[in-house]
Amino acid sequence: MASTSVRIEQISKRFGEVTAVDRVDLSIAKGEFFTLLGSSGCGKTTLLRIIAGFMPQSGGRILFGDACIDDVPAHRRNTGMVFQNYAIFPHLTVIDNIAYGLRARGLPKGEVAERVARMLAMMRLEHLGHRRPRELSGGQQQRVVLARAIVIEPDVLLMDEPLSNLDTEMRVHLRGEIRALQRQIGVTTIYVTHDQEEALMMSDRVAVMSGGKVEQVGTPVEIFHRPQTRFVASFIGESNFIPAMRIGSGASGPAVYEVPGGGRLPVPAERASEVGPKADIAFRSHDLVLGPPEAGGWTATVADTQFYGATIRLVLELAPGHTVQVALTGRAGQALPATGARVGLALPSASLWLFPAAAR
Amino acid sequence: MTAVAETGVGTRLLRQVGFWPVVTALVFVALFALLVMPIVNIVGLSLSGKDAQSSVWANYATFFSERFYYQTLINSIQVSLAATVLAVLVGVPAAYFATRYDIWGRGFVRAAVVLTFVSPPFIGSYSWVILFGRSGLITTTLADFGISLPSIYGAPGIVLVFTLQFFPFVFLMVSSGLKSIDQSIEDAARNLGSGELRVFFTVLLPLLVPSISAGALLVFVAAFTDIGTPIIIGERFRVLPVLIFGEFVNEFGGRPILASTLAVLLLTVTTAALLLQRWFAGLHAHGTAAIRPLTIQEQRPLKRLLASAYVLLLVGMALLPIVNIVISSFLKANGPLLIAEFTLGNYARILRTIAVPLSNTIFYTTAATAMCAIVGTAVGYIIVRRPGRLGGLLDGVVMFSYAVPGIVLGVGLIVTYNEPPVILTGTSAILILAFFIRRLPFSVRSSVSMLQQLSRDTEDASINLGAGPGRTFLKITVPLLSMAILSGVLLTWSNTIRELSATLILQSGSTVTLSIEIFNEVVNANFGLASALGTVLILLTFLPLVVLFTLLGKREEALV
Repeated sequence: MASTSVRIEQISKRFGEVTAVDRVDLSIAKGEFFTLLGSSGCGKTTLLRIIAGFMPQSGGRILFGDACIDDVPAHRRNTGMVFQNYAIFPHLTVIDNIAYGLRARGLPKGEVAERVARMLAMMRLEHLGHRRPRELSGGQQQRVVLARAIVIEPDVLLMDEPLSNLDTEMRVHLRGEIRALQRQIGVTTIYVTHDQEEALMMSDRVAVMSGGKVEQVGTPVEIFHRPQTRFVASFIGESNFIPAMRIGSGASGPAVYEVPGGGRLPVPAERASEVGPKADIAFRSHDLVLGPPEAGGWTATVADTQFYGATIRLVLELAPGHTVQVALTGRAGQALPATGARVGLALPSASLWLFPAAAR
Repeated sequence: MTAVAETGVGTRLLRQVGFWPVVTALVFVALFALLVMPIVNIVGLSLSGKDAQSSVWANYATFFSERFYYQTLINSIQVSLAATVLAVLVGVPAAYFATRYDIWGRGFVRAAVVLTFVSPPFIGSYSWVILFGRSGLITTTLADFGISLPSIYGAPGIVLVFTLQFFPFVFLMVSSGLKSIDQSIEDAARNLGSGELRVFFTVLLPLLVPSISAGALLVFVAAFTDIGTPIIIGERFRVLPVLIFGEFVNEFGGRPILASTLAVLLLTVTTAALLLQRWFAGLHAHGTAAIRPLTIQEQRPLKRLLASAYVLLLVGMALLPIVNIVISSFLKANGPLLIAEFTLGNYARILRTIAVPLSNTIFYTTAATAMCAIVGTAVGYIIVRRPGRLGGLLDGVVMFSYAVPGIVLGVGLIVTYNEPPVILTGTSAILILAFFIRRLPFSVRSSVSMLQQLSRDTEDASINLGAGPGRTFLKITVPLLSMAILSGVLLTWSNTIRELSATLILQSGSTVTLSIEIFNEVVNANFGLASALGTVLILLTFLPLVVLFTLLGKREEALV
């Protein structure tokens, strides 16, 4: 398949006073599954629509391979797009939907029929070829628009929250299917979603976006375990932020920060010197280790216990006004700490990140 | 990148400039030639003097200094305002009862309102003459018992006809307004201790202000610009449109400068009314949308009876002229006198003469309807999908044409196209173009509203798959809108086929239409023939609507 790499250089989009996309630079490899992740209004869909050619950028340029595509109109860009609300052509049958792009390209009838048939088989839609969209389920419609976008052998496959209108079960099923399909045909894919689980599970690399800017680009593991900005740390996973004060600055060894509840946590000296003496320490709820309270150690009081089945969450009060969440794996027969009980805390140094203190 | 093969049959221009810029340019040229230029020309003529010394306002000074002229403006405003107030007073309660109460004969009421709405106004007026004129059926019958009725002629008659003819505007607007109010609003008011009357005046009526004012505007403009009714029953009571008509078609070739001046005055009033209503409705717009619209409430028998009697009496009176036309088309006629004896003679006589006007009418209507469907859909698309300065300008120009009365457009087209380089006067083309421009804003409005309901992603998907803008419009947008376009076509047809005002100015002997033919027979007092022709016209108007309401499942509110 004629797939291509994509380079996005300093792309901006302004709507009047509002900057929706702010000088974004991305480099996407050929065949890569690349995800733009962010909450609504972060500019991810705007960026995708700029790549598709539906709106001109205010600044910057886009290259497919080595070719700048800024002056190529949307219908000549050869990007297959899958829309959030399917955008299936309701007046055309499944076959005509899939054949639409091939016919627009003026391919001979025989070739159209052959490629559509192959695509129907690949997507397991053979028995639905002559149906109208309104007779299909949501998942089937999604497979049709996916087939429609892939059959034209696009340079880049663009997907705008394609699973957000489906129920949970279908969503989980289809994301595996889309991922497998993408690996199989090797098409460069740019995927937009607000669902971090989807992003982490499907992508080769993820760009986390906020306020029109890219906060961090990396593999799912990097994004999850080594967040580089406060935003990424709070957006991905379930994180706690607690204020910390530097109490020791080992010249050669790690710096030590004190946190509410009497905890003393070591931080690499390099990072500490970047951040300064007043800082925030962030960590994931499931990384905190509970034990019996020790004199002089880090302790907290259990303020609330929430039973969710597979997980159990505790709200711990470190000191008045400072609480953190802890997630424990719920096992049968496990004894739950009672509200009001004192517990001891520990945090592996690989699980914590130091950020400059937030303005409060 | 894979090169995308171009398959369309587009010309080089289309390829280089793009599909929509070319279409936009064509639309602007058409609107400029058919709307802007005619209006500019009549304004220009109205400001031109007979000699170089006279002030540019000389024609207006003449108008406002001679009672013969300015009285027509006062008369027009008087009868139109009276009809507007009356139409609101009778229409609002009727709509409320028909929408909220379990009155008897709701289906009949709906059909009667539609029939009244689409029947040509001048048919209503001469029908009232048949019944209540000096030698009218009811007048003479009652005279035998020594009862004398007030005269149907002059201002009171005009107001009566206008009120009964145009109250459906208010009725339909208010019905649709009521359907956009959620039942929970009324329930909340009731729950807080308001009785029905109090709820109506403190909650429903304020929410209905935009609907009522929109209906009132339509009544006012229709009454203010109507030409057939005042000619038929106005007698010595002269109104502005009739004066224009007289100035334009008098035997000495007419006085286009004076006619233009009058037309500009007419246009000024309608435009002012339109702007006033927009402003007023804007002040009271609350953007209501009903999830669960107001429901029909069961009433106690007496209330139900009274409400039913009121609504049925009103629509019965409005329907009377039409029923009368159909019946009298089967009666022997001796000039204006009808004799109670069944005959098909009227139809036999019109058979000999109907061919030309009938085929003209159908041809002009069909051509104008097709143009409206094509251009209206394209213009709507530009406004909704390609917003920007040009789209906004287009929107403004098209909405302005709402306010341009048929007679003003007629005068404008004549003064623009009666001399080289382009002479269209007396041709079929000028009638078709006039019909087209008259209905265009309605077609645009309906295509705008249907495009706003259509997700843009479907078209984007087509572009993304490699279909150009033109191909996308034809293969995706148009098929998806086909049912909506079809109902627009049926509405345009029904509304165009009965056009009289512009036609009176623009027609020549060879381009006579059915409504002109009826008008002539009425003026010549051949009521039998007029009724037979009128029945044919009513049928042609009503049939598309039957299709619209039954097969396409539209509600009668679609008419306004």
